[in-house]
Amino acid sequence: MKNLQKLPLYFLFVGLFAFASCDSEDPVIENEGEVITDVTLAFTELDGAGNPVGLTFTFTAADPEGIEVGGAPTIETVELEAGKTYQLDIEVFNSIENEDITEEIIEEADEHQFYFIGSAFVGGAAPLSYVYDDESGELIGVRGIVTVDATPSFNNAQMRVVLRHDLDKNFPGADNPNFENFVQAGGESDLDIIYPLILN
Amino acid sequence: MKLQGARLILVLLLIISGFEALSQDCKLVIRGKVIHLENNQNIPGAYIWIEEVKAGAVTDDSGNFIFRNLCPGDYTIKIQFLGHKDIIEEVTLSNSSFNKTFRMEELPTELGGVEVHGHRDAIQTTTAVNALYGSELLEARGENLGESLKRIAGVTTFSTGNTIAKPVIHGLHSNRIMILNNGIRLEGQQWGAEHAPEIDPFLAEEITVIKGAETVRFGPEAMGGVIMVNPGELPTEKKDKTDLYLVGGSNGRMGNLSLSHTGGSEKVKGLGYRVQGSVKRAGNVRSPEYFQGNTGMSEINFSGATGYSNSKLGAELYYSYFNTELGILRDAHTGNLSDLEEIIANGRPFTNPDFTYEINNPKQVVQHHLTKLKTHYHLNSKWKANLQYGFQLNQRQEYDRRRGDLNERASLDLELFTNTLDLFVDHTHENALSGTWGINIIQQANSNVPGTGVTPLIPNYDMLNAGLYLIEKYSKGPLELEGGLRYDYRTISTARFIGSELEEADLQYNNFTAFFGTYYQINPNLAFRSNLGSAWRPPNVNELFSQGLHHGAAAVEIGDADLDSEKSLKWVNSLEFEGKKSTGELTVYANQIRDYIYLNPTGETFVSLRGTFNVYEYLQANAFFWGVDFSGSYELTESLQAYAKGSIIRARNTETDEFFPFIPSDRMDWGLSYQLDRGSKTHHFNLSNMLVARQKREPVFDLAPAPPGYALFNVGYRYELPFQGNRLNLGLQVQNIFNTEFKEYMNRFRYFTADMGRNLLIKINYQF
Repeated sequence: MKNLQKLPLYFLFVGLFAFASCDSEDPVIENEGEVITDVTLAFTELDGAGNPVGLTFTFTAADPEGIEVGGAPTIETVELEAGKTYQLDIEVFNSIENEDITEEIIEEADEHQFYFIGSAFVGGAAPLSYVYDDESGELIGVRGIVTVDATPSFNNAQMRVVLRHDLDKNFPGADNPNFENFVQAGGESDLDIIYPLILN
Repeated sequence: MKLQGARLILVLLLIISGFEALSQDCKLVIRGKVIHLENNQNIPGAYIWIEEVKAGAVTDDSGNFIFRNLCPGDYTIKIQFLGHKDIIEEVTLSNSSFNKTFRMEELPTELGGVEVHGHRDAIQTTTAVNALYGSELLEARGENLGESLKRIAGVTTFSTGNTIAKPVIHGLHSNRIMILNNGIRLEGQQWGAEHAPEIDPFLAEEITVIKGAETVRFGPEAMGGVIMVNPGELPTEKKDKTDLYLVGGSNGRMGNLSLSHTGGSEKVKGLGYRVQGSVKRAGNVRSPEYFQGNTGMSEINFSGATGYSNSKLGAELYYSYFNTELGILRDAHTGNLSDLEEIIANGRPFTNPDFTYEINNPKQVVQHHLTKLKTHYHLNSKWKANLQYGFQLNQRQEYDRRRGDLNERASLDLELFTNTLDLFVDHTHENALSGTWGINIIQQANSNVPGTGVTPLIPNYDMLNAGLYLIEKYSKGPLELEGGLRYDYRTISTARFIGSELEEADLQYNNFTAFFGTYYQINPNLAFRSNLGSAWRPPNVNELFSQGLHHGAAAVEIGDADLDSEKSLKWVNSLEFEGKKSTGELTVYANQIRDYIYLNPTGETFVSLRGTFNVYEYLQANAFFWGVDFSGSYELTESLQAYAKGSIIRARNTETDEFFPFIPSDRMDWGLSYQLDRGSKTHHFNLSNMLVARQKREPVFDLAPAPPGYALFNVGYRYELPFQGNRLNLGLQVQNIFNTEFKEYMNRFRYFTADMGRNLLIKINYQF
């Protein structure tokens, strides 16, 4: 009978358990702050003095769902004219959050850099040449100058645009916009897009 | 010394009875085992006297005793042990020998001078059990739990770099094994390969590994085995003890300090307490040729316990806090598949960082709180009621390299609450039966903390698991038979927003499990164990609901909400030998798992603006694991000892006849230890060689082939001396003396970097 005296104690513990048990929180819609859905290459023709001529035309790579299983990105074909020089502005956008990511890239200029590779930029017969021309003077690639060869040896090429994040900008060769071994400078790819290129 | 005395008596006894045997031609045997009635712990050193032959014996370490060469007739066995009621048993030997397990009842504590022993229960199991304690644990101090446990044959690690190591028992890890922190099942986010157990190894006085399927006793998921991290018993009288550990390591410039203090109350008999804390800090790990960038870590842990026990009632309140911040090798965090392929082809990190203690993103910050309340009450001398309640809160934050303000925010932020309640009764009788009947309830709530800016990898969920179990054991001297049954019911409800769509699911699982085991002491030197147990594991939420990019791993993982529970049947057999000069243990097991869940590469890739990713999906297939563990030692001379241990594991997908990834390769560790006694001071020297074979049984798809086998040499020296009336241990160890560059197949970062190079450790332990 003595053990019955302890009974309330056990009930207390069971009660405590029930009290402490808790439910999970209701799920919340998460703002995909980091997703890039649209990458737009904006080309503006420059004259011999480096002044803009004519209208700016754009080519966009878009993946409205960001990185999600299923939808593949749609990438527009870049069309440029032989012998001309263009200012290339890259605009990076998150349409899910309506957020301009270009600004963030410029703010963290020391951690970001675009590389321009693929058959359009790399190799002896590459039809395009690229020079960084960012406003801050830092090598980022948000703005640059693209010159198209006057007599390109081929009209179809691939423009591979890579955005590296958290790289070592002082790594030997990292200042070259066509640096194919960018991985050696460390960091990771935030963007890696291959735009088809047609030269007229 | 006591043991040697016991052996001497045994030997003398054998000789004496041998002479008698010559004259009378009597061959009967009385064998027995003496254990505590209360908790089934063995009683070594109990005295047994048989009046009729005027012979005595003392029980050995396992509580066994034996009288040989007895003639048919009546005998009176008298068993005595300090603080316990004498047992007197009349036995008639006719033509068969006699076997019995004797349970000694404790005398009431009011009798002066009687020791109240603590209330830690012996694990009542017939499965293969190995424990790490004493000097072996002393040598493992400063290592994380996974690394420490590698000292046990058959236990390896599944690691992510050199700071995150998950224990692997017989090829199974994560949610297929269970870790108990002072009796409470540790509930963290163990599903993740890079999620280390949230436990401070310094709180343990003993770490026990049970290699069998122990679902019946401990609940679902204990399919491959159980690891019990047990603090020492709380004192029941005024007895203060302080333990100080100081560990320094050259690799990573690691410093580790732990202090624990136990004490007992003078006023209240049976009241004791313990406080313990540890801090650890390490910087970048060095591989032989380079530093691994961002691999530092820091840890702050604390635990406290207080307990009271008298002859009827025992109660213990325990709290432990674990807090760690772990850097993840920067180069292992890749943006897409081409990044990943480039670094794998390079075979080492691209960056050449310097040493630093600084921890940057990617990193993990983990906190774990565990509170336990345990009480037991002796209803009478045979029945004991137990209640154990545990509350746990696990907070895990994982940070990636991100742009802008997001870099300051975790990209995975989880909060997991777990309540566990165990109500069970133990019964032990002077006769052959003992057992446990109980109810076990686990309630869990997992929430994603909003604000990560990433669609959660796993949904929020509520889980309730209720189990009912029964274990009975029959003992007769050297023979023990054990069996158990359990029924579990589990319900999970999940909810998550994918984009703006709410996805909810309600899932139910239930299962019966059973086991049967036997233990037989063939002779005083040789024992055999065999255990056949079924186990089950419901699929984990990540296996059910993963959907999307696994950041850093360049992998898209797709879960399957229709997965069934895994069911396994494991048969473990072990033979333990303990001779005068040699010891040996051989464990052979087979584990048949139905619906084994694994992450399978689909061979497809997924293209996005970020680049290309491999796609993995969770699949189920039948699997068969088998293997052998062995360990043994031999005394070459009184002070020189040779030892060897090793393990072999084979695992196959029996449906596709392929191998699974991340199964440990064959390995063995062998060496020499030398002990030099100089009065009260002792020098211990140790030289060991670790041999690891290449994993030749590779899965069809792997990012990189299995690395070559390797051999490492380690040396250790420990000086044990009295210091101001207390005990001081000074240790020096060099791991990987030759700074060999190697990659371990079971380290996920083998794709990116070589393992840790040479490490020189200084270990000081002072007990006062």
